[in-house]
Amino acid sequence: MKTFTYTITDEVGIHARPAGLLVKEAKAHDAVITVTKDGKSAEAKKLMALMGLGVKKGDTVTVSVEGGDEEAVAAKMEEFFRNNL
Amino acid sequence: MKEKKSGQLFAAAQQIGKSLFLPIAVLPFAGILLGIGSSFTNETTIATYGLSGVLHQGTLLYGFMLMLSYAGNAIFSNLALIFALAVALGMAKKEKGVAVMSSAIFYIVMLVTINTLLTLDGSIVNGEISANVKEGAITSMLGIQTLQMGVFGGIIAGVLGAMLCNKFYKMQLPAALSFFAGTRFVPIVSMAGAILTGAVLYVVWPIIQNGIFALGSVVEASGYFGTFIYGCIERALIPFGLHHIFYMPFWQTGVGGSALIDGVTVMGAQNIFFAELASPNTTHFSVEACRFLTGKYPFMMGGLPGAALAMYMTSRPEKRKEVGSLLFSVALTSFLTGVTEPIEFTFLFLAPTLFAVHVVFAGLAFMTCHILGICVGTTFSDGLIDLILYGVLPGQAKSNWVMLLPVLAVYFVLYFLVFRFFILKWNLKTPGREADGETAHLVSKEEYRKATGVGVAGGKATLAGYDEKSALILKGVGGLENLIDIDCCATRLRLTLVDSGKVNGALLKSTGASGVVIKGAGIQVIYGPSVTIVKSNLEELVEQIRSGALPEALFVEEEPKAPATPAAPAEKKPSMKSAVLGAHMKGRMLLMNEVQDDAFASCALGDGVAVEPWEGKLYAPADGQVESIFDTKHAIGITTDEGTELLLHIGIDTVKLGGKYFEAHVEEGQQVKRGDLLISFDLEAIKAEGYLCTTPMIVCNTDDYTSVRPLATGEVAVGQDLLAVNG
Repeated sequence: MKTFTYTITDEVGIHARPAGLLVKEAKAHDAVITVTKDGKSAEAKKLMALMGLGVKKGDTVTVSVEGGDEEAVAAKMEEFFRNNL
Repeated sequence: MKEKKSGQLFAAAQQIGKSLFLPIAVLPFAGILLGIGSSFTNETTIATYGLSGVLHQGTLLYGFMLMLSYAGNAIFSNLALIFALAVALGMAKKEKGVAVMSSAIFYIVMLVTINTLLTLDGSIVNGEISANVKEGAITSMLGIQTLQMGVFGGIIAGVLGAMLCNKFYKMQLPAALSFFAGTRFVPIVSMAGAILTGAVLYVVWPIIQNGIFALGSVVEASGYFGTFIYGCIERALIPFGLHHIFYMPFWQTGVGGSALIDGVTVMGAQNIFFAELASPNTTHFSVEACRFLTGKYPFMMGGLPGAALAMYMTSRPEKRKEVGSLLFSVALTSFLTGVTEPIEFTFLFLAPTLFAVHVVFAGLAFMTCHILGICVGTTFSDGLIDLILYGVLPGQAKSNWVMLLPVLAVYFVLYFLVFRFFILKWNLKTPGREADGETAHLVSKEEYRKATGVGVAGGKATLAGYDEKSALILKGVGGLENLIDIDCCATRLRLTLVDSGKVNGALLKSTGASGVVIKGAGIQVIYGPSVTIVKSNLEELVEQIRSGALPEALFVEEEPKAPATPAAPAEKKPSMKSAVLGAHMKGRMLLMNEVQDDAFASCALGDGVAVEPWEGKLYAPADGQVESIFDTKHAIGITTDEGTELLLHIGIDTVKLGGKYFEAHVEEGQQVKRGDLLISFDLEAIKAEGYLCTTPMIVCNTDDYTSVRPLATGEVAVGQDLLAVNG
């Protein structure tokens, strides 16, 4: 398992549109990707669960990647967060 | 980088080119009306055919013919406006109707702006063109005296109108002005843009005009050799599909010469020809104009059918029967209508050298017609139909069409001999010459018909509810996901793709295409004149897949990729229960793709349906549990008892309101019943802030269902069945 943490800088947090993008990105990989905030976890491929986390600007989330090419996927996801969130 | 840029330029040029196909399609018909009408109101023609008894001024038939002639001519004289509308239609990404109207506004305002400036500087005095102005520099368009810009004035207005629409159709304005926001803003900004563009053109266009005049005189002075070069370039651009852009300036602007006909200065070869055709005073059509028009007859009616015969004679005897019918049909298409791509593409990819020879012969054909003074005009392409209308009917005295006959005969023999010689010398694998076991990509008429839709009812080979050929095309371009845009011109299917690297040329050719051209993100698949049917079928299939009637997975080319992929198709979709969801609001139903926000419209979050609300209340579409309510209270997530995950999102970009005007009536985790009030909001206040209140109901787990489809359209009442999800 490979993890990284990220602090959200996007004004609206993981809201509908960015969440949709995140799901799309996550679905492009075979690995199981999980986003955790304050002990609450959601699978990054599930839009509803993801939005249910209520992630806002300034929140720090932990993203974990399991299975598949973990290193590469984690790097990709980190890049995605930095560009979009 | 440079490659990418040239690719983009190619794509843009192609887009303008293909936009022009709608108006170009009307030209042959307009030409027929003008041709028949003017021929039978022309005294010489009437006398020649001995019709003066029934056809003279005052008879009903004469009046009818005159009307035909004027109706046809109306299209040619207003081509600039028609091009403006067509280009806007072709280039606008969304709200095409708005773009079309805006480009009309743009064009008219632009003309008037130029007119005003010309009046202010004294070029136009009391509505009359001043004597100081260069002959032909100012003309009357739509009754407005303005700079002679030909169809390019229209194309400029169309391109800019479409660009403004693409940029501003979602424009937001402050509350007080919100009525003028969005699509209503587009015509407004078009007016402003038109005034600006008109002012710029007033300064710039005379310079371009001088350039055109200079180029025109160079071409004119270039004589027979210039005509030869023109013919060569025009044909050489065929594989790129850019020939329309090349010949347009010659046909429609001063580059192709100018002439004074019945007191009016006319620019461009085609315009000159048709003005002469319409004029009763013409004694002989202008050779200077027709040098750009007539040259295609020899190789379209003579040469290429000769080439087809050569291919037939050199095919292996046991294949002749199948190959013969195919070659006959493509040769006939060329001969009758002058649509040559089907036959040209049978040898272009097999033997580029042969095409090079064809290019040189094409140049020589133009030159020969020029030298012999043959003047047969054309609307679109040079086939038998145009020859009769614009050569035979106007009469030998004007067109010298009889001279064309020996030229056709010579070209037929020439092409036959040259093609036969090279096919045998290089052992070219033209149809019917493939080695054993190898199948020709154009095997039999039966297959050709099936593939192109020629001669088959509806052109559809229906199997299991969808068009098999479209399915192959979709596979050949890398699946639906890779496909951005579908369009076509006279003979080519033009597709814009995400990644043209995924194209499987062989698969595409198996659908009856005679060639595939890839440039940047655009590809062209050449089918011949029946391409419009191919396009409609493909669009229909794409619709079927998007609406969920057909699973997309069927149309992805199976290729043994990395072991990661086989897992996906093997994995069975969880069997979800089908369910029906009620309308979440009172208002007007919208399809997802009508929502003015790409994130929703593209179904990136999932498929569903939207409502444009008439009151500020959001209700539960089904029994279920509230999963999440955003702090801003403008969106709510619900999982229904049947397992459908729904996101209800009030308004577009309303997250920016930060919760103002919204009030939630439920809490997270709460059970709700269908029809329960979830959120109320101040519809008018939100609209006044400049936000749209369109509310999509999105099925977040769309992937778990085989289809998601709307059940109602138009006005919907709360609780009415609105959306079905099928397991």
